Amino acid sequence: MSFKNYKDKIDEGDTVILYLSNNLYALEVRREIKNKKGEMIENVFQTPFGALKVKNLIGADFGSRVELSKGWGHVLQPTPELWSLTLPHRTQIIYTPDISMILLQLDLVPGSTVIEAGTGSGSLTHALIRRVRPHGHVFTFDFHEHRAKIAKEEFEEHGIADFVTARHRDVLELGFGEELNGKVDAVFLDLPSPWAGIPHAVTAIKEEGGRFCSFSPCIEQVQRSCIALQEHGFQDIVTMEVLQTELKVTRRTIPVRDLSFLRHKSSECPVEEKPSGDTSYVVGAWPASTPGHTGYLTVATLPPDFKKSKAKDMMKSDVPEDKSDSSESDDRMVIDESVNQ
Amino acid sequence: MTPNKISVGDYLILQKQNYKKLLKFNKPNLTVTVGRDTINLTGIEGWPYFSVFKMVSNSSKKNREYSLELTQEIVNLKDEIDVKISGNDNRNIFDDGHSQKLSAADIEELKVDSSKASDIVETLITNSNTFHSKTEFSQEKYLRKKEKKYFEYIQIVRPNLRIITEVMYKLDPGKIQGIRVDTLSQIITMANIQSEGNHLLYDSGSNGLLAAALLSAIGNQTNGKLVHMHPGNMSQKQALLAMNFNEEHLNRCISVNVYSALRQYYQGCDTNDNTSSELNHLKRKAEDCIEIKSKVSKTENAIDKYINTEDDNISEDSKPEPKKPKWHFDNIAASTILKDKMDSLVIACKEDPKNIFNELLEFVKPGRPFVIYYNVAEPLQQLYMLLKSMSNVAALKLSCNWMRNYQVLPDRTHPEVTMDGAGGFLLTGYVLK
Repeated sequence: MSFKNYKDKIDEGDTVILYLSNNLYALEVRREIKNKKGEMIENVFQTPFGALKVKNLIGADFGSRVELSKGWGHVLQPTPELWSLTLPHRTQIIYTPDISMILLQLDLVPGSTVIEAGTGSGSLTHALIRRVRPHGHVFTFDFHEHRAKIAKEEFEEHGIADFVTARHRDVLELGFGEELNGKVDAVFLDLPSPWAGIPHAVTAIKEEGGRFCSFSPCIEQVQRSCIALQEHGFQDIVTMEVLQTELKVTRRTIPVRDLSFLRHKSSECPVEEKPSGDTSYVVGAWPASTPGHTGYLTVATLPPDFKKSKAKDMMKSDVPEDKSDSSESDDRMVIDESVNQ
Repeated sequence: MTPNKISVGDYLILQKQNYKKLLKFNKPNLTVTVGRDTINLTGIEGWPYFSVFKMVSNSSKKNREYSLELTQEIVNLKDEIDVKISGNDNRNIFDDGHSQKLSAADIEELKVDSSKASDIVETLITNSNTFHSKTEFSQEKYLRKKEKKYFEYIQIVRPNLRIITEVMYKLDPGKIQGIRVDTLSQIITMANIQSEGNHLLYDSGSNGLLAAALLSAIGNQTNGKLVHMHPGNMSQKQALLAMNFNEEHLNRCISVNVYSALRQYYQGCDTNDNTSSELNHLKRKAEDCIEIKSKVSKTENAIDKYINTEDDNISEDSKPEPKKPKWHFDNIAASTILKDKMDSLVIACKEDPKNIFNELLEFVKPGRPFVIYYNVAEPLQQLYMLLKSMSNVAALKLSCNWMRNYQVLPDRTHPEVTMDGAGGFLLTGYVLK
């Protein structure tokens, strides 16, 4: 339940983050766990610094030091950021630099309603939930039945199920569902063919307009998405890439080589040809290998219905991917125009 | 609140193609300058946000004064001008400066006489020797460039954090400490800012951008509170006001002078019963301190004053009522929140972050995150070494970002030719018990 509110003390059932000399581990606080034979045994978490008796965590303060058999560590309350670094991967996940940008680009604030497809391992979902609660809601979809189920269970275990609806659904095939028509402020797509989801996004976004974001690893996906966004009347279409590098900070002592004495004939002969001393700097070194690409973020604004009418003419002349989709949104445009005029 | 209609008193964004301007719509007939043009905003009031208006020349086009007319459609030059012939490549194009038959004076005259941008551009094309031998892509690029020059539509949109950050960064990154949008987005997430909890911000000058960012994530009608500490006499509020937060929302940001708030916390000199003379004495002493101690806060004050003249809303704070000024209550309120301890700490300073961090760390609950922003790495590297040796924080990380935008066009996709190079550095971590 430790994802719901700020907590000071650890309760049984909480997920906690164990911090051990630059390594992070997520663990669930249970006194006992089942062993391979299905018997309940005492829960002991093995770390590079020895064993941790998990039951000792119950009642401890978050941020406090915990004893291990061969050292010590600290326990932290999970944040979506810590969770992204420790969660069990069921898919490729989106990390904090992209997540942060997605939240800001989607104009999300507490109270917003947002769609996410697909759910994947729930890395972004946790951050979306934190941003839109307590009045807002996240609708997250995955076409993989098992993944959708696990995600749903995870949100319940984490005590955040009130703010999220996790569904198993192929949204490219079926859309987001009628009950979401005109109900959401923002749509996020992380799908292999996001352009096919854009007509559904138009249907789901509120009458007063909203934001769209798509995360795609390949530029070809971006190109097709941008064309589809334009065809569907989106404006301010922007594609960007965000990368983060962690600097390795160390104190470096470096030798000083003095060459100035060479200008003059020296009485002392021979002068030693080696560094004359050293000096020290605190340096932030760039890592030899650093993330070079995660995905392109394509963002756009869907203007309110009264503005969309102009997109209609353009859409007529184009031949979209999926005919049923386009006719659906085409109809909507016509209706909107009549309402407006 | 009428959220979707443009109303007097709102801050709004005037958008002309990619150019955006933030302004306060403080009277219905407000006049603003956009580039070399002067636009009178009479008539935009009451229309929904996202409405597009056509710039209509008032008198002669020479003085470049325009009024606005609501319009349904933006006419693109590309749609208006039908280009029939294109070349295959540029082998036959020479830049001899004579490809345009019209003289500069002719073009000036043309601009004055023509009512439509497409007429001007069409005439330019007809009188160009080379346009029709340019490639299709090159022609399109030419039209895009001309469109930018002669674009005659503006759209009014509502400001939000994303747009305000973009506008302020483009205008002058120096005024917001060089905080780029990606860095700002990470400050909010890494500090775990959310609708709950007490959040602490020390900001020595971002024109209110950080306070706006954090308060936006704290949200409307929630329990979260923000204590916004600043070194100057008045907090910088430009971005905060531009967010058009309602009163309930804005009131959960308590802006206090860092000296007064900490003095109040440790020495408790201001109480609700104190006489004002004593208060003023203490306050003045605090102000002296600031002036002497740091040049930074002096410039802050200067900026504050500058904003103050721009925006009369702020002067509320600066007009001390004879007995109990607002800051008196704010200091007490901030001190009370600090006693409950804070759930996050964000520092974006121009001073050395070391002392500020060590002082403010006291107020942060164990296990909670902190984020320190600085526009160059060195002060954060020093602090990193210090914190490593003290071992009272976990997961310490110094990071920097790289962000690049892309031009996406059929067969012409590539990174934008310029990028916002400086995004600043973040030192993040979690406080230990």
